[in-house]
Amino acid sequence: MAKNEINYQELSNELDILLAKLQDPATNLDDAMSLYKRGRVIIKELETYLKQAENTVRTLSAEKAES
Amino acid sequence: MTMNDPLIVGVSEFVDLLNQTLEFAYPSVIIIGELSDFKISKQKWIYFDLKDNQAKVRFFGTVYHLPGPLKDGLMLKVRAIPHLHPQYGFSLNVQHIALSGEGSIKQASELLKAQLLAEGLFALERKRTLPYPPDRIGLITSAESAAYSDFLKIVNQRWGGMEIILNNVQVQGEPAIDQIIKAITKFNQMAEPPDVLVITRGGGSIDDLQIFNHELVTRSIAGSRIPTLVAIGHEQDVSLAELAADQRASTPSNAAELLVPDKKNIISQLKMTSQQMNTYLNHTLQMLKLNVTEYKKYLQTGISQNITQYRNYLQNRSEKMNLLDPQAILSRGYAIVYRQKLIIRRASEFGKQDLINVQFSDGSIEATVNKVITP
Repeated sequence: MAKNEINYQELSNELDILLAKLQDPATNLDDAMSLYKRGRVIIKELETYLKQAENTVRTLSAEKAES
Repeated sequence: MTMNDPLIVGVSEFVDLLNQTLEFAYPSVIIIGELSDFKISKQKWIYFDLKDNQAKVRFFGTVYHLPGPLKDGLMLKVRAIPHLHPQYGFSLNVQHIALSGEGSIKQASELLKAQLLAEGLFALERKRTLPYPPDRIGLITSAESAAYSDFLKIVNQRWGGMEIILNNVQVQGEPAIDQIIKAITKFNQMAEPPDVLVITRGGGSIDDLQIFNHELVTRSIAGSRIPTLVAIGHEQDVSLAELAADQRASTPSNAAELLVPDKKNIISQLKMTSQQMNTYLNHTLQMLKLNVTEYKKYLQTGISQNITQYRNYLQNRSEKMNLLDPQAILSRGYAIVYRQKLIIRRASEFGKQDLINVQFSDGSIEATVNKVITP
């Protein structure tokens, strides 16, 4: 697995930005509702990822392509 | 020819014969002794003696064999091949040089440290921040070591979804130096290099850990394009390899802890974030409700004000109307004269015997005009 199936860092950053907007008094209710829904989705995805993702280990010298 | 008969050979033949004998008897020998008469020639060749109280022997090698800067008086452990040179006589051809004894190891390490420090290899400005958490880790350690299993155990406990690429190397002894340097080079040459290199081993004697004070290992770590984390499990002096790394950790487990966050903490934080989001949204809703109440109040106040204004206006007009009410005027003693239901305003409009109706405030009378008087 070259990269994570979901990009943890990208989602985490998106959540940070979303929280800041949600906290902003200038955000109107419609936007706040959309942000809230998206936030719930991100949190669920991150939680699932953290609970399920496993590390893979490979040995470099065993691979011809890398040697 | 019997065993006791002397061997009769030419000089070159004797040299060859002796070298063959030496090679057979001592294909490689490790000699421990005090360094003396150490010289570097043309920045490439090294010459030195190792000596003890009774004897000394000459060695020959290249600068690539040096573990770092050396000075006379240090105790060395040198692996070499005995050799009789046809022109320059007997010497030992160096294969590997290591320092021997805690005192010498420390002295040599200090010499190298001073040199590398002066070159700026350990400068804080060179330190890069490690990606947190990384997607791909290049791991340089021994697959059989406790360091490897400790590191993996903690990393797997704390974080997932990463690719760990192991370059299995020895982490002590002579071959370790070359293997570690090659592993660093190999990772750096990968088309898709890992995000971070972790070089680790568990604790050991000062002799075991010497390779992490080796000049070439230290330079290789400092020269890595990939950020480095070096974790050597020892409590006392920090090795030069650790000083050259972007970050150091005290043990392999500590390296894993520094490298990735703990998912348990992150999951707890996410739960808190979820609660925070609820709070933020509720706050927005509360604010809006408050605004609606304010608008309502404002509207009500506005309407009330308008109504009062209109009432006042109406009252005012009503009073004016009252003033202008003909009935009110009649009450003050005036009368209206009609002829055939039309109001007659001038005396000159009357004719004698006209039938008229005169309206008072409380009623009316009918009358006939007897005489019209005009000035």
